[in-house]
Amino acid sequence: MQKEIKQTWQFRQSPEEVWEYLTNPELIELWLMKTNFKPIKGHKFQFTFTAKPEAKYHGVVDCEVLEITPFSKLSYSWNGSTLDKSRNYNSVVEWTLLPKGNGTELQLSHDGFTVLEDILTHSNGWNSCLTKMENLINQ
Amino acid sequence: MRTQSLDAFQIIADPSRRQMLMMLSKDSMTINSIAENFDMSRPAVSKHIKILYNGGFITIKDIGRERHCLLKQDGFNELQGFIDYFDKFWTNKLSKLQSILNNKSKQ
Repeated sequence: MQKEIKQTWQFRQSPEEVWEYLTNPELIELWLMKTNFKPIKGHKFQFTFTAKPEAKYHGVVDCEVLEITPFSKLSYSWNGSTLDKSRNYNSVVEWTLLPKGNGTELQLSHDGFTVLEDILTHSNGWNSCLTKMENLINQ
Repeated sequence: MRTQSLDAFQIIADPSRRQMLMMLSKDSMTINSIAENFDMSRPAVSKHIKILYNGGFITIKDIGRERHCLLKQDGFNELQGFIDYFDKFWTNKLSKLQSILNNKSKQ
């Protein structure tokens, strides 16, 4: 069972240029969400969006800058809740920028879904248990 | 007690229910043997079992006079759906970023 998200994207632009779009709130808003991000470690900020009425997830994501190395690495916590606020999830988003020729390879990792994690880790076991059970029943 | 309307996240938000799933991930158990591990009344244990059952996390089989609980995949699939949601979310956002940057370099 997959419990983290990893994506790799190639850009023709330099890491410096891609970095701008990851760290400048006006530019972030163009492709991601409205935010009061500041490129300072420990800075607490939010992403906000208008959630569709039927959406499961609440329109505010609470974040904190965890790591920032200009033009190469950025990570922040990504904590949200379901629309009725009954369920919270904590996770971490990490961006890694690597120079590739004249362009940039942008790696995204979104994981560390705490609360979910222990369950997801163990869910692999369900299948073998089920088989074991079936065998016991059929004996 | 509303048990039908809980989603997968509300179901596993409860530490006792998480522990029950954890125990069941090792082996199937009777409701009685599950109850022995918890400092709560038998009806309270049954309530949690019912919630897990309604959420598709476990199935219950009657073997002789005993009720055996075992894990079921449906509930876990909903959690997987959560991960898939964010995977699609980022694919969406990053393709938008890519087209913004590509249009910009053409100017």
